[in-house]
Amino acid sequence: MIPLGLHSHYSLLRSPTSCDALCRQARQLGYRTIGLTDINNLYGLWDFVNGCDRYAIRPIIGAELRSNGERAFFLVKSSQGYTNLCRIITGIHQDNTPLHSLPEKRLQGLVLLSDHKKLLTRWQEMELDIGAAIIGRPDQQGSELRNHARLLNIPAMIVADTYILTRNEKRTLQILRAIAGNCSLSRLPADQQMNTGKQLLSPGEYEQRYRIWPELLRNTRAIAERCEFHGPKFGLVPPPYKNLGNQDADHLLRRAALAGARQRYGSPLPKKVMKRLNHELQIIASMGFSSYFLVVRDIVRPVSRTCGRGSGAASLVAYCLAITNVCPIRHNLYFERFLNPGRTDAPDIDIDFAWDERDQVLASVFSTYKNHCAMVSNMVTMQPRKAIRETARVFGLPAAEINTITRRLSGFRFQRDTGDDLHAQLRATARLRNCSFAPPWPEILARAQELIDIPATLSVHPGGIIITPRPITDYVPVQQAAKGVPIIQWDKDGAEQAGLVKIDLLGNRSLGVIRDALIQVRATGVHIDEHSWRPEEDAKTRQLVKKGLTMGCFYIESPAMRILQKKAGRGDFEHLVIHSSIIRPAANDCIRTYLRRLHGEKWQPLHPLIADILSETYGIMVYQEDVSRVAVQLGFSPAQGDRLRKIMSKKDKDGQLADFRDRFFQAAAEKKLSQKEAEGIWQMMLSFAGYSFCKPHSASYARVSFQAAWLKAHYPAEFMAAVISNQGGFYSTFAYVSEARRMGLRILPPDVNRSEIAWRGHGRELQVGLMAIAGLSETTRNRILQERNMEGDVKKFASLLDFLQRVHPADDEARALIHAGALDGLVEKPANRSQMLYQLAQWQQSRSLAINRLFPPSAVPPPALPGQHQVERLRNEYRVLGFLCHTHPICLFDQQRQRLGTILARDLDKFAGSREKIPFLGWPITAKIVGTKTGQPMEFLTFEDETGQVECTLFPRTYQRHCHLLHTGAPLLLTGTVEQDFGALSFTVTHIAPVPVTGKRHKEKPDYHQSSETRDTIA
Amino acid sequence: MRERTIIHLNIVDFSVAVERLQDSSLRNRPLIIAPQAARATVYDMSEEAYQDGVRKGMGLIDARRRCRRARVLPPRPEQYEKAIQCCIRRVLPFSPLVERAHGQGHLYLDMTGSHRLFGPPPDIGWRIRNTLRNDLGLDPIWSIGPNKLIAKVGSRIVKPCGEYIVAQGEERAFLAPLPLSLLPTLKPHQYSRLRAVGLSRIGQAAALSRQELSVVCGRRADILYNSLHGIDPTPVQAPAHSGRRFFFQHYLAQDSNREEIIRSAVLSLAGQAGYALRRQKLACRKIIIKLLYSDGMSCERQAVKKLPVFLDHDLEQSAITALFRCWRRRVRIRSIGLCCRDIFPQIHQLSLFKSINQNNRKRKELNRTIDKIHELFGREKLYRGYTQ
Repeated sequence: MIPLGLHSHYSLLRSPTSCDALCRQARQLGYRTIGLTDINNLYGLWDFVNGCDRYAIRPIIGAELRSNGERAFFLVKSSQGYTNLCRIITGIHQDNTPLHSLPEKRLQGLVLLSDHKKLLTRWQEMELDIGAAIIGRPDQQGSELRNHARLLNIPAMIVADTYILTRNEKRTLQILRAIAGNCSLSRLPADQQMNTGKQLLSPGEYEQRYRIWPELLRNTRAIAERCEFHGPKFGLVPPPYKNLGNQDADHLLRRAALAGARQRYGSPLPKKVMKRLNHELQIIASMGFSSYFLVVRDIVRPVSRTCGRGSGAASLVAYCLAITNVCPIRHNLYFERFLNPGRTDAPDIDIDFAWDERDQVLASVFSTYKNHCAMVSNMVTMQPRKAIRETARVFGLPAAEINTITRRLSGFRFQRDTGDDLHAQLRATARLRNCSFAPPWPEILARAQELIDIPATLSVHPGGIIITPRPITDYVPVQQAAKGVPIIQWDKDGAEQAGLVKIDLLGNRSLGVIRDALIQVRATGVHIDEHSWRPEEDAKTRQLVKKGLTMGCFYIESPAMRILQKKAGRGDFEHLVIHSSIIRPAANDCIRTYLRRLHGEKWQPLHPLIADILSETYGIMVYQEDVSRVAVQLGFSPAQGDRLRKIMSKKDKDGQLADFRDRFFQAAAEKKLSQKEAEGIWQMMLSFAGYSFCKPHSASYARVSFQAAWLKAHYPAEFMAAVISNQGGFYSTFAYVSEARRMGLRILPPDVNRSEIAWRGHGRELQVGLMAIAGLSETTRNRILQERNMEGDVKKFASLLDFLQRVHPADDEARALIHAGALDGLVEKPANRSQMLYQLAQWQQSRSLAINRLFPPSAVPPPALPGQHQVERLRNEYRVLGFLCHTHPICLFDQQRQRLGTILARDLDKFAGSREKIPFLGWPITAKIVGTKTGQPMEFLTFEDETGQVECTLFPRTYQRHCHLLHTGAPLLLTGTVEQDFGALSFTVTHIAPVPVTGKRHKEKPDYHQSSETRDTIA
Repeated sequence: MRERTIIHLNIVDFSVAVERLQDSSLRNRPLIIAPQAARATVYDMSEEAYQDGVRKGMGLIDARRRCRRARVLPPRPEQYEKAIQCCIRRVLPFSPLVERAHGQGHLYLDMTGSHRLFGPPPDIGWRIRNTLRNDLGLDPIWSIGPNKLIAKVGSRIVKPCGEYIVAQGEERAFLAPLPLSLLPTLKPHQYSRLRAVGLSRIGQAAALSRQELSVVCGRRADILYNSLHGIDPTPVQAPAHSGRRFFFQHYLAQDSNREEIIRSAVLSLAGQAGYALRRQKLACRKIIIKLLYSDGMSCERQAVKKLPVFLDHDLEQSAITALFRCWRRRVRIRSIGLCCRDIFPQIHQLSLFKSINQNNRKRKELNRTIDKIHELFGREKLYRGYTQ
């Protein structure tokens, strides 16, 4: 018996079985050949092929196709059949092609199995390789189909059509169906209950089941033998260059690279440049990647501002083609990290574009390489939070109750190897200490645990794009993503295994920030020549970087990075490159070693053999390629070194690493290294390769960081306006506004007569943009600008009524504008927002009444309403804007601060190292939970007040005790000690409490004896 | 307009008060009334538990965490019903117009014109309070006002104990300094709109004209205007005049979204409705099902028959139809309500042909027999079983 028609979890939300588990189980049951047919996709092709390879099983590639109520199993016999299957699947995703309408030539190279009599009849007429699929059991329906097959003179065969491996998975499968159908378990339709026949049985059980129709078993074996295709083998498929003409790509690339080099380095070219260029061009040509470089150059050329990232920035050719912006010679970047003759996998060039320009770039690539390109997909799997949420919904729990658990699960990872189940792990999580997990939660968690890592949906890779010489559907099925772009049915690993070379076109907010800030600067009449712009050489900028005042600056704005900058006290380019790579999880010891050596501690290299390689990083491995370079120094080939680096950076590296470890120690012994020295080097390689960046990447980013820092140093208002407008920075708008205020900028509240959509900075003023007002639609924002700038003339809004009548905002939008203070300029000062809200309601009412009137009712002056209380006004403003324009909200707690005797952020340095416990009232800005070496959670938080920011550390014991108070967004009263390390201050928190409420709360009871007088007063 | 005198009696935390009557050891400790189930919600709580943060509808686990010293008892609606009936019997001698208001333990008495019979209204208030306290051990808040609205607000401001008297003509002065939230007729959206324009006290809102109030609160501003000025013409309605309406509710001990449980509860409610209708020789055309979900949202739908029905089978059919019309979400259901509308006297149409509708005849007989058993031994002695 050969089981055909098996399904894996890639039949999304229809099976909980992974390809690996399927192959393992099949092998245990004694199968030697199995056929996977997921529904309308080949998502799991490479997992299946790898699984079969691992368990020595012969794979049969195929898919179950469902379209317009028709269903059939398509098994691939040959490469032609594979191409046809890819095209058919693409067609089904594109226009739901009915199976009966597929032309004969599209069905060649395939075995077609169906239980649909009309389909079988039609395909029999075309004389295709077909069979009647007897699914499940030999029942009445199967008998009729078998008779029909006899009539048509076609074989009938068994299709196992399984979705689960064991009976225990049935419940998981039902939950998946309930998630897909948006229903509860008890209301799952009968056909979705998956009661019988969906489990993979042993060969003996199938033979027993079908012993009354023995020819079915024979026919199934015969069909399986005809399927000789076991997976596509394309080799490396680099993107083709379209504009070659009569020239070859190698020649064209050499010419372009030389021309670019002359522009970069002048003519004649320095020998060093020429030598490296020749070396690179020779390797590129020998590996067949010349066209790849030309394609990327053409993509990048029309765009004004890009940033090459990843290992591609190590290529001088890429630099000369203006794909990247950092000179690999000047910064000593290692080309072999990117490309070397022994590299068998495809290298990728990653390019960053301004986030709002990237879609245009993608559109241009799609139009240039129509039908030959698509984006790489990304399989979204169920993570604990989603698995718990979806299962709890199936169990009918209300959203609020589910959120009490799931909102505290940010960053939670389920550890399979600890032996604890999900429930136990959640119970051990400090953040969930107050959750009771009363029934039915234990059952929900047990079920949710089964869902973790099951694919849920296919999304788009952040930027990976594949361009192929033949139509892309010859290689892989393509479908449309929700955002409208075509995507291939494999993720980046699948594409890499297939040999499809990926180009990463990514969006980068900071490129947009720099672009917008420069536009604003130019608007003031200042011209900056970007070709001669050397921000890394500017003293003021270096000073800013050195002091860690880089909030808002690309890549160096996180608290950890700014603290490192402060501790290092270096503001030059080279050190910034080191810092941006050395910052990583669990690297605290190495960072301290680095800082000590940086500040003058004497050090010795781990071994003289690797002294040169690590000299610029103080004897510490910092970059990814350090692994390859050290390995090469010990006798590995560049390809082997690169392979070692790649394995080390993978999560499931243990199996493959053992072999490399033996070879490494053998090579070290040959080079006369002691066991201890070799072990030391090996451990350092292990700790760094997993998280570190390659130097070209860090250098490329450091350049953008310096550009941002230069703008912040010289044009703070324009820069901060661009940072906030482009959004997506490390901090919230609230934090950036506070930073701007600390920089001495004045925040001008939104104003319908002055504000643009984006924020604008000029001089020492920052004008809040209309985009900051929550709830104001894009249409209304545009209409405000349109009405204000009619035909080039600025026609300001004269009054509230004028604004309402010209812009016609929706009720909630107008309220948001009033609460934000954007309409304050249209009424008499001081603006009474209660009256403005009344006038709005009056206008809304008159507008609805005006439908049946000849003339709109005239505006009646509003009654004398009491203005909003200051706290209520600020609360509304904060709700709409997310910050306050005129003050820091912590100032509203002045009474408490005085009463509690708290210290301001700017005064904390006076207590550095005193061990005195200091109270500090702070507003939370960011938080990051990390694990200690022993796996205990602790948290780094940034708090601020109006005078500055404070970096706080909550060690495990304090974190365990107080973590439930964090992440509420409210200010907190912190008690702790001020520490100083390499000149940087931090606050070690020992106690946290909510801010006590001032005064006593009284139940509202009137003075009844005075009630008459009170009425008179109000009247 | 004739001067009216309305007394509002409010037995605070009614179910707690009833439980404490039956077990005096409960008097000195906080009490929470909630079903004994893992996902039960609070049905009622004592003042001490309220002060600790326990609220109606809150999850029992959360409530227990807030008030660890509280004792938890399961709700006994039938006992509370008996207790309120006892209260009504005690106050009926004072006035034939006694209205049982929405919520437990609230009664309105129209004492208009009873001065010569029972003395001045404050005396009546004291007498009623003493009667209830001496006879039943219940200590109600009482308040007197010229209408139901004022009497109710009076009770609200003295809660949890005391009394309050507002004389005719003092309504506006009485209401003016009070916060808007004390006004029972104010809808949540009206409250937030009035707050948005800076109004927080009843007197401030009452200073607006009808037209101005309609600008802020939209439709129904007239009713609100009257309320803000202490005007409430609604009469106290004795049960006999409140229209024929049958409403039955089932609180699930533990919220559920399992179809068999919800179905069974609806069928049980239909059975109760059928029994109640048949006892009064009535029939109904319209069955309304109201579902209250665990997240507080509710939905109601109806099923209408061409002719009035009174047999369990027909009522069940309508109830199940209405149920599946309104049960569209997968969130668990907390309670199910069934309401019979379009009530008519039963009509027995004789058939010309004996053989027709044998099933109906059998069902009638079955219902009659079951009703007899229920009458003799109580409803809890015989339940119908249902199969899927």
